[in-house]
Amino acid sequence: MDETVAEFFKRTILKIPMTEMMTILKAWDFLSEKQLQNVNFRQRKESLVQDLVLLCEKKRASVHDAALLDIVYTQFHRHRKVWDVFQMSKGPGEDIDLFDMEQFKSSFKKILQRALKNVMVSFRDAEENAVWIRIAWGTQYRKPNQYKPVYVVYYSQTPYAFTSSCPLRSNIPLLGQALTVASNHHKIVKMDLRSRYLDSLKAIVFKQYNQTFETYNSTTPLQEKSLELDIHMDSRIIHENRIEKERVQRVTQETFGDYSQPRLEFAQYKLETKFKSDFNGDILAERKEPLRCLIKFSSPHLLEALKSLAPAGIADAPLSPLLTCIPNKGMNYFKIKDK
Amino acid sequence: MDSYESTHQHIASSRLKDYFIGATPLQKRLESVRKQTSFVPTPPRRKIPQCSQLQEDNDPQKVAFLLHKQWTLYSLTPLYKFSYTNLKEYASLLSAFIAAEKQKGLAVEVGEDFNIKVTFSTLLGMKGTQRDPEAFLVQILSKSQLPSENREHKVLWTGWFCCIFGDSLLETVSEDFTCVPLFLANGAETNTAIVGTWFQKTFDCYFSPLAINAFNLSWMAAMWTACKMDQYMAATEFLWSVPCSPQSLDISYAIHPEDAKALWDSVHKTPGEVTQEEVDLFMDCLYSHFHRHFKIHLSATRLVRVSTSVASAHTDGKIKVSLNKSSYVIFPYCYIVFKMYGICIFHIEEAQWNANLRQ
Repeated sequence: MDETVAEFFKRTILKIPMTEMMTILKAWDFLSEKQLQNVNFRQRKESLVQDLVLLCEKKRASVHDAALLDIVYTQFHRHRKVWDVFQMSKGPGEDIDLFDMEQFKSSFKKILQRALKNVMVSFRDAEENAVWIRIAWGTQYRKPNQYKPVYVVYYSQTPYAFTSSCPLRSNIPLLGQALTVASNHHKIVKMDLRSRYLDSLKAIVFKQYNQTFETYNSTTPLQEKSLELDIHMDSRIIHENRIEKERVQRVTQETFGDYSQPRLEFAQYKLETKFKSDFNGDILAERKEPLRCLIKFSSPHLLEALKSLAPAGIADAPLSPLLTCIPNKGMNYFKIKDK
Repeated sequence: MDSYESTHQHIASSRLKDYFIGATPLQKRLESVRKQTSFVPTPPRRKIPQCSQLQEDNDPQKVAFLLHKQWTLYSLTPLYKFSYTNLKEYASLLSAFIAAEKQKGLAVEVGEDFNIKVTFSTLLGMKGTQRDPEAFLVQILSKSQLPSENREHKVLWTGWFCCIFGDSLLETVSEDFTCVPLFLANGAETNTAIVGTWFQKTFDCYFSPLAINAFNLSWMAAMWTACKMDQYMAATEFLWSVPCSPQSLDISYAIHPEDAKALWDSVHKTPGEVTQEEVDLFMDCLYSHFHRHFKIHLSATRLVRVSTSVASAHTDGKIKVSLNKSSYVIFPYCYIVFKMYGICIFHIEEAQWNANLRQ
């Protein structure tokens, strides 16, 4: 095995936490069960890595096997990357073609290789007809860099692809072209949607999250909830704003639904809107230009946090459509201007 | 009071008697502070200092050194028997103390050669009025082992002590005390702790971390936004933390600096000073603009950080002046002091407040 390949193996295995080592190696499915049994997993990580690299060397592992191991690792740690979403569309009159995964792979690879010569593309099939693609970029004269790859997740026969952020911006158009052509689409656009949680992005674009707008079904559990609250309260305390509280609960539920929200960590709004004063008519009254603001919301679980604002009395109910439209529109980056 | 009492054990025995009968100069001073202010009055207006009021005899290189660093703020009770003529002696004592702390248990001779060097020096001009004591700088430098590099010392830690517009405090202290109620540190916290301990033992003083509340953060944001600059380097940004469960939420609200200035100019009516009403109105305008878009009441959330082209401040007591050296050359010195003024003015109220709390 080439020294650089051995180094690539070493670095890839070193990334894997000890607690996940066995699971990831098994999922990789390169070393046999028996081979793995003979490895001492209780030794220091450095020694373990050395043993594993030797084992791979013996089995004549190639750089492609190492790339596959890297894909498995990334699948386990997908939340460490920030994922972009690309949406593709067909041209007018284009019909749905028969989709062949093998054809997709070979055509995708061909397009990249034709343009860059030194590029390494690896595929790994995943659940739900998805394919994980790992691209190590090179140039005409330089070998592929294995340490700054881009990962693409494509669900076959859908117009959506998810990509980890690309270190080389100049390669994005090429990547887009390869995706469009290989999946028989016509056009590709990057959506204003980004998150660490690939599964939530998928839920948003495929509309798999449950947002119920039916109030009929939800009134019963709501009443139960408010009763439950009252048990813990002193019976002598009267809720003066009980009606308002119930309204806020109801409106929040109508907006967000009963189910847990898809997970996003941020939303960003570029506001270019005119300032209007509530207090004093002459503040910035003369000014024609909009106020340029950049608002960033961040939270470990943004939509759940937003859902809790009105019931906590921090926001009005209903919350602004600018915030509640995030899952519906599949957007968390906005530019807002006056009409 | 615990830490105060424990450090007090080390003070000369002649003073111990006074201590037990409860009449140390410090306690007398605190007594008078307590009489003077039962609670901290909030100034309804603050003057924007003019150049003539400020000291121009500064050392530009030293002041430039204070920029672009993150400082952690502490408030400090007056120093007992501190003398500006003894700075050299303090430097060697503190350096011996640091060496002793670092090799605990071993006896260390004063003046022995260590790998570190401590310097004390005055920071001329870093004050508000003639009556304010001079600010001074303490630095821990690493001594190079190689003779050729002898002149190049690497700064390991810096702290400085200052008093800007300390009039109300100065009136309450007797002659034996030097009043530099604001202490700013940059460097490893362990060094801050060692230097703090030495000052507490030597000058019978007490340090406490200085948190900056939302009220003062708004003041700073307003005063810094008010600064006219030829070139803005950063947006005027506010960071709010929303106390909602089960998930926390942070909201960053950045306004283009020119637009923030325009808004301030529209709110600001009294030339030469900034009033509480103006600061409130400025913040209310930002709140209402935000509410109009998002239906969220920022006034119900917690302001944790403000940052502008001029400086930034965090509620946990960390500040940074962002003006770089080139803008320092462009702007007159008073300008920098004005920024420092914005940073420092509040601490005096806070220092009094802390003194009261510790009663």
